[in-house]
Amino acid sequence: MPGQIQDSAATRAARPRESPLALGVRRILRRPSSRVAFFVLAVIVLVGLLAPLVAPYNPSAQPDIVALKDLPPSLAHPFGTDPYSRDVLSRVIYGARLSLMIGVLATIVSLTVGVAYGAISGYAGGFLDAVMMRVLDAFLSIPRLLLLIGVLVAWPGLSIGALVVFLGLTGWFGLSRIVRGQVLALKHAEFVTAAQALGASRRRILWRHLLPNLVSPIVVAATLGVAHVIVLEAGLSYLGIGVPPPLASWGNIIQDGADQPATLWWMSLFPGLFMVLTVMTLNVLGEALRDTYERR
Amino acid sequence: MIVAIVAAITFALIHIAPGDPFSAVMDNQNVNETVRQTLRAQYGLDRPLPEQFVRYVNSLAHGQLGWSFSHERPVLEVLGSALPNTLLLMGVALVGSFALGILIALIQVARRGSIIDYTLSAISLFFFSMPDFWLAILTLLAFAYWLPVFPVGGAVDPVMHESMGLGGRFLDRLWHLALPALTLMLLASAVVARYQRAALLDVLPADYIRTARLKGLTEREILRRHALRNALLPIISLVGLSFPALLTGAFFVEKIFAWPGMGYAVINAIGTRDYLLVVGGVIIGSIMVTLGSLLSDLLYAWADPRLRSH
Repeated sequence: MPGQIQDSAATRAARPRESPLALGVRRILRRPSSRVAFFVLAVIVLVGLLAPLVAPYNPSAQPDIVALKDLPPSLAHPFGTDPYSRDVLSRVIYGARLSLMIGVLATIVSLTVGVAYGAISGYAGGFLDAVMMRVLDAFLSIPRLLLLIGVLVAWPGLSIGALVVFLGLTGWFGLSRIVRGQVLALKHAEFVTAAQALGASRRRILWRHLLPNLVSPIVVAATLGVAHVIVLEAGLSYLGIGVPPPLASWGNIIQDGADQPATLWWMSLFPGLFMVLTVMTLNVLGEALRDTYERR
Repeated sequence: MIVAIVAAITFALIHIAPGDPFSAVMDNQNVNETVRQTLRAQYGLDRPLPEQFVRYVNSLAHGQLGWSFSHERPVLEVLGSALPNTLLLMGVALVGSFALGILIALIQVARRGSIIDYTLSAISLFFFSMPDFWLAILTLLAFAYWLPVFPVGGAVDPVMHESMGLGGRFLDRLWHLALPALTLMLLASAVVARYQRAALLDVLPADYIRTARLKGLTEREILRRHALRNALLPIISLVGLSFPALLTGAFFVEKIFAWPGMGYAVINAIGTRDYLLVVGGVIIGSIMVTLGSLLSDLLYAWADPRLRSH
């Protein structure tokens, strides 16, 4: 698509202040698949944000634990009810809110740690870099889910905040490798040498000169990272060690119906569908972003 | 180095756990303070942390992972007896997913840009985005409850297996393996297909492909003899890369299909709070992942003639 590239180069020249992020977003929205994904994701995010307005019932209300429990989908309860007579649709809607929030917050933790670690390692070089990379290798060799299970079983009854921190702290290894590679590659670029010659401090070079060049891989890692955290959180909640029970997260809802998967099929089907839809859209967008920045 | 850090992490895990490894004994009101002190001294829990760490690493090096109180057997024994089942499940899924994934990728690339290509891409993205445990629940629902063609769980028929002949036992095992292995295979082939499609498309602009085309080879011939062979190299590194995902996938699949492997043991240990068994699972899992990536590196060196000659 040479025409498109020229086109975007021209717009960039016309608006030199546009950030690489905005440029990337505008570029990926040219693809029909990304546009659909963006729209679907926006709807899910909106539903999550406006949960109190959208949900037909209170997600934790147990109106009648005898008469209204385990009801299959009907007009009054499109996604059925759970063993505590709670409305599953409302719980799925509130689940969207919680699962997305956990995904985003944990990813912010991962990005912060991953970028700092990778940038320091790549910029310092030498012995420190070697040690930091070996440590990273060790972390990478422990499957993330197993590590989280180990931590969460050791500390039973953790708050959601702590869960977010742990999900974030186990998700930065891959990103920091990428960041380190980029920093290594750019360390001796002319603009860095120029900044050094002008007497810029290391911190300033890292923040003002190297970091802006890392925006694209970071945005890609963030998008795919949120998707990954959502799946992990659901898995942990399904195992009963994620989000503490009375709250609704997609994994928790499935867990509530896990004893009788065949009779309470609506409890695993619907939250799972929402989860797959969210993860799929995030993956589509993340990959579209990656394609655009790799082609550049 | 990797081993040391993994040991340090798991040691930290054990020590952040509230109480000590026998909190069940310790919490019991009838056990008096002197007995507790003796027990602690006996197991070295009253020593300074660095010393405990050295002892811990030493015992790890001797293959001691501690005592599983829910199984009333050593952790190593519990996991060791479950390991063959996990390896069987993972092995079948690995081989199957690479075969299926590469086949899908070949079809897609042969018909690149067509409706078939897009549909298959969408399907593999769908499976790629699916949480392991959710797909496992769905296949269980679909093929064990609604269409009861496969058993609900376990590795063998609990009643009939012992009375079967050799062939019958084999078929019984196969019949129980089918659904969990298929689930894990579907999850993994989505990854393989996506990866392999990209690898094939990377190779296609190469000069030797153009040469082959000019030689008058058919597109199918080019794909099979020239493109696929070169695009298989990245797939070998995918074996190592996909190992952690395959392992955690196996954990969920085992849990849902009650497949008596490592994952089933470890996930059940979460419920019984059999902490040393959980940590043992983390350690064995990490060893498996490390071995997996080592294996894939060796395979790569063996398969790539450029590396072989050195």
